[in-house]
Amino acid sequence: MSDRIIETKQLTKKYGNQTVVNSVNLHVKKGHIYGLLGRNGAGKTTIMKMILGLTSITSGSAEVFGKNIKGNEKRIYPRIGAMIEAPGFYPNLTGTENLEIFAKLRGTSAPDAVKKALEVVGLPYRDKKIFSKYSLGMKQRLGIANAILHDPEVLILDEPTNGLDPIGIAQMREFIKKLSTENGKTILISSHILSEIALLADDIGIIDKGVLLEESSMKELEKKNRKYILLQVSDVPKTILILERRFQVKDYSVQDEQTVRIYDTELNMGEINKVLVMEAIAVLSSGICNDTLEDYFRKITGGEGIA
Amino acid sequence: MLKLVEVEFCKLRRKKVMWIMLLAAFVMPFFAFLYFGYLGKTNIEPALFYKWSAFGCTLFLILPFILGLLSIMLIHDENQYDMLKQLWIVPVSKIGYFFSKFFIVFLYSLCFMIINAAASVLFSVIPNYVAFEWNSIAFLVERCLEIAGLTAFAALPVLAVTVSQKGYIFPMCITLIYIFAGFFITPVNSYLHPLSCISVIISRGGAVPGIALLEPNLPLAFFSMCVWGIASVALAVVTLGKRK
Repeated sequence: MSDRIIETKQLTKKYGNQTVVNSVNLHVKKGHIYGLLGRNGAGKTTIMKMILGLTSITSGSAEVFGKNIKGNEKRIYPRIGAMIEAPGFYPNLTGTENLEIFAKLRGTSAPDAVKKALEVVGLPYRDKKIFSKYSLGMKQRLGIANAILHDPEVLILDEPTNGLDPIGIAQMREFIKKLSTENGKTILISSHILSEIALLADDIGIIDKGVLLEESSMKELEKKNRKYILLQVSDVPKTILILERRFQVKDYSVQDEQTVRIYDTELNMGEINKVLVMEAIAVLSSGICNDTLEDYFRKITGGEGIA
Repeated sequence: MLKLVEVEFCKLRRKKVMWIMLLAAFVMPFFAFLYFGYLGKTNIEPALFYKWSAFGCTLFLILPFILGLLSIMLIHDENQYDMLKQLWIVPVSKIGYFFSKFFIVFLYSLCFMIINAAASVLFSVIPNYVAFEWNSIAFLVERCLEIAGLTAFAALPVLAVTVSQKGYIFPMCITLIYIFAGFFITPVNSYLHPLSCISVIISRGGAVPGIALLEPNLPLAFFSMCVWGIASVALAVVTLGKRK
């Protein structure tokens, strides 16, 4: 069997004339955390819904465990835990009661499954607080508890850290990482928060306007992000003149009135500094830098950033 | 299926409105008590009192309305809080989901009519409007159970419309239209509307004074109810299938 747990081929979704997901080929490997990164409205949730069979596919296919979900629901769904959009639960019931309902429906055999799931997300067991009184963060935690309740092999989590406080986000990140590293779960996670995906994912898919622009491992992505010398100087035009004439630098970019990036990192930085100072240019800072994921995202989406 | 029904009961925790709605079972027995008290008659024919307390407005208006409300309540939360997608990926069968809701409506209808029967006996026997007779009580209970079961089936169209909609306003309007249509269609044709079919079945053999038909056609009444029931289940299956 292939090591791809989730695979989409030319996955497309159209609403009337509007194409919200366009020929997406997504590959989620076994035991990996796949981060689907994109701005709000990029099509992340629609892709997840199509993978789960919650929305119809206009064209293409989505397979989980090598099979299309349609027609294999009873075999595939018990192996998946999912939280799509804001998790909804019965408002008149407590968190424990809500999870007990889902445990019953799933036929979860472990007697303490609900207690364990609540412990993992940091919610109290047998608390008297009903779901309608929960804060957004608590609702999100309960949604994740429901997704992991039956110990699924695959987790599909749509923006799981939405509404969580910074400590909650860090805890959730650790928890998701632990699920992957210690329990070998395959996780497809979407987010519009770049730093979240950068810290979590093994593989990343960058989606913009329904198109999967890039799919690669984080390691590859880190390699792709070029190193450069960042110079902050008092006179950028004069600096460029010196760099071109004295150092034959051609691969550079001007960031703003004081900042220049030189992509030839083999250059002697000490020599550059010395020459610039001698030419009466104040060097405010200099150093070797890496492109951040945000820079990369900005670059491949045509200049538009992300949170 | 049993699991789904069990879960449906769990979902009803802390729903006080459900209990409050049961109080509606006392409405017509109480009005019958006032009416016969006003007339000042005693030892009246039991069927006459029960026509007022159980076989009249309770059958045509109150119980169908209560069951319509219940259907909306059972489904509205799941729609409002976008829970269906969580249920489908459990997975829960869509037809099982529909019938588990129907089962709750059916049980509620039984409880409602049992309370109505008990209230009818209390409000008729204690003030001595009706003489205490096991036969008449057995007749009342039997017809009340029949009304309960049949009205639950008659509520299938409302339940089907409710599962096909996200909001509650349209199902509520449909409930009202459906009930009043039954009320007004009965004198024209008693076999067109499920509620009028129930009145045909309940008043069979001229047992209920005032609503007995000249030539009641019971098979036709049952057939009409079956057609409505099948059409409702088909509508529910199709619309639930389309809904994601």
